[in-house]
Amino acid sequence: MPDLGRLALAIALLLAFYSIGANVFGARRRRPEFIASARHALWAMCAMVTIAVVALWTGLLSSDFSLEYVASYSSTTLPTVYKFTALWGGQQGSLLLWTWLLSIFTSVAAYQHRRRNPEIAPYAMAVLAGVAIFFLGMLNFVTRPFDLLPVIPAQGTDLNPLLQNYWMAIHPPSLYTGYVSATVPFAFGAAALMTGKLDDSWIRSTRRWAIFSWFFLTLGNLFGARWAYEVLGWGGYWAWDPVENAAFMPWLVMTAYLHSVMIQERKDMLKVWNLALIGLAFSLTIFGTFITRSGVISSVHSFTQSGLGPYFLSFLVLIVAAYTGLLIFRARELRSPAEFESYLSREAAFLFNNLMLIGIAFAVFWGTIFPVLSEAVRGVKITVGPPFFNSVAGPLALGLIFLMGVGPLIAWRRTTASNLVKSFTAPAITGVATGVVALAAGLRTWYVLTAFSLAAFVLGTVVVEFRRGVGARRHMLAEPAPRALVNLVAKNNRRYGGYIIHIGVIVAFVGIVGSSFFKTEVKKSVREGQSFTVGAYQLRYLGLSESDTAHMESATARIEVSRNGRVVTEMAPAKLFYKREQQPATKVAIRSTPFADLYIVLAGLDENGNQATFEVFLTPLVFWLWAGGLLMAIGTVVVMWPNVRERAAIAAAVRRAAPVAITGEPAPGGD
Amino acid sequence: MRFRLRFVIGTALVVGAIVYLITTAIRNTSEYYLTVDEVAARQAQLVGQPLRVAGRVKSGTIAWDPATLTLKFGIVPIPDPNVDPAVKPVSTAEPAAYAVTCIGEPKPDMFANGRDVIVEGKLDATGHIAATQVLTSCPSKYKPAQAK
Repeated sequence: MPDLGRLALAIALLLAFYSIGANVFGARRRRPEFIASARHALWAMCAMVTIAVVALWTGLLSSDFSLEYVASYSSTTLPTVYKFTALWGGQQGSLLLWTWLLSIFTSVAAYQHRRRNPEIAPYAMAVLAGVAIFFLGMLNFVTRPFDLLPVIPAQGTDLNPLLQNYWMAIHPPSLYTGYVSATVPFAFGAAALMTGKLDDSWIRSTRRWAIFSWFFLTLGNLFGARWAYEVLGWGGYWAWDPVENAAFMPWLVMTAYLHSVMIQERKDMLKVWNLALIGLAFSLTIFGTFITRSGVISSVHSFTQSGLGPYFLSFLVLIVAAYTGLLIFRARELRSPAEFESYLSREAAFLFNNLMLIGIAFAVFWGTIFPVLSEAVRGVKITVGPPFFNSVAGPLALGLIFLMGVGPLIAWRRTTASNLVKSFTAPAITGVATGVVALAAGLRTWYVLTAFSLAAFVLGTVVVEFRRGVGARRHMLAEPAPRALVNLVAKNNRRYGGYIIHIGVIVAFVGIVGSSFFKTEVKKSVREGQSFTVGAYQLRYLGLSESDTAHMESATARIEVSRNGRVVTEMAPAKLFYKREQQPATKVAIRSTPFADLYIVLAGLDENGNQATFEVFLTPLVFWLWAGGLLMAIGTVVVMWPNVRERAAIAAAVRRAAPVAITGEPAPGGD
Repeated sequence: MRFRLRFVIGTALVVGAIVYLITTAIRNTSEYYLTVDEVAARQAQLVGQPLRVAGRVKSGTIAWDPATLTLKFGIVPIPDPNVDPAVKPVSTAEPAAYAVTCIGEPKPDMFANGRDVIVEGKLDATGHIAATQVLTSCPSKYKPAQAK
């Protein structure tokens, strides 16, 4: 099996090279048979990488410790599901997963564009194959997943216990899916620049890919946060660690991109900006991999250096330089005839939303690389911690939320005063009223008051939008309200799915604000039978129960939770000890309600187990972060849902394009 | 055309505000991030400043009292991984070491003799670090394990 995997990876690399050559040759000489051949090569490449993945999985599942990778990240006692997820538990496997996803997405994009968009698609496929070459090169020559050990150990070192967790099983694949699928719109953007076909066809071709990527970046970030919350036992979900930032920055840039392409589609503006954004989004995915793998920036996640840094940095520099060069080369052709006409226009709201998002992304970037910069410039490493990120992202988030309310209700081009009054009176009153209620309820922090008011304002604007749409349908088509609502969303799924995402963002934002500002933390060391108080809760330590298996030992504390003298529930935080690694771990007990999460960590035990130390967090509203995330996911599915009208339009476009399969003008300056 | 200029000004104002936010935040929140050796080299000027110190837990120095959540240990430089430990260093000077006390935080799971840690806190004039937080390295194992 290892030989098969190695061979498959080598063939995949050759196929990727061939596909670049055949694509470019076929497009320049207008030889469709070469482009078809290149497409088949990409599918074959995907098959080869799949074989390699299956080979590594086989090694993991059969505990083949002759493979260095299997010996390092698995063991015979590891539960089967984690043998499966150990594929992305280590560096070589992660890169293999990355390459696998890339080859799958490339194949799908190649299939979708076998007739569509014939002028730029071959070049886009060549770019995708080029990215694949980098990763396949790493897997073939630098960090090989099928390396053998000189001496076969009897047992493997096992997967890191922190990764033996449900969220860790789904977090990396989600994030990687988000990262890797951003490559497709990037490739089409680059192809548009290469061919000079600079209209919005590259955006239309890959719109769904961009949303798909955003969807998985959103999920990946949320799963990561959830994992940190449930597993690490520090009571929080986000620490602004470089590794987290690496996943957050592409999300911010993709969010900006998804908004600004709407302006290009509508108004033919911001062409350079959109191309720059997608280039930036892709570069950030590579940058993210670079900082997590290189050890250049120390993170709590990994102090270890892997020697991959220089390769990723070179690749990154190459991409940024080539792409920037292309942008400059095409700068004259990218000028837009249209202009902004008024601040009170939707395009202005979108532009400022973009500035805020990119501003946050830049601040995150700056804070992340600041230690490296300060060391280079001043010779001493200076770090900025969470306070830096919070104090920049906090105010900018308020600006974003405000624009989120304004953008959808304001008209394109310019808005009249009477329009403004009509649209915004009710939401503004809702916002102010919420602020007044919060003030009366005793909230005194300006940020929280503003945040809650703005959140209510945005929800108000979304309600106004839905009411308008439903009202119009009832009036014009005489539909009853519930059916009008369903049809409204179904017929305009991009628009109203977008509003559902907005509601999700607001709900999550309220959760973030609530959990950041109102968290209480209590640390207490108690004996069996003793009680202590956390907020409105009484916690009584009932005792300890212990268990012992081949894989781990555990000590579980039982805690009786009561409120106002009534017993609410019993909770069981635990200490685990993984035998193979000789490593302790924490199992947090969480009781989640919409009002607050009670979060108990068994922080320590004395030798005979009589006295236990607990760290307890009472975190209000954190429930809503996850609920908002779920809403965002649902909204994105609505947006991505195939729309009948859109399908018809694509079919028509394909029919138009079909008889002239390869008619592209590949020479620069076409169009 | 006139509006275009106004628009550029508005955009510049927003960008300026963002830059201002970033620069002030950097000034207010930055901390030195130093290795134990670097702390030793400039100890005098670091007293009282917020610090993050990367080092290794000195074996046999850990004292942990779960009742008071008090963790005491010594921190020493992390040896250069490129230097073969079998080769004796030329200099025989005792490596720099600092005593760390962290009160009110549970002991991290991964905390043990010989582990690499980051200590956040302040250095006092006697060379003692009062830590507010001790972070242990998460061994993500993103490195090829050494064949044993």
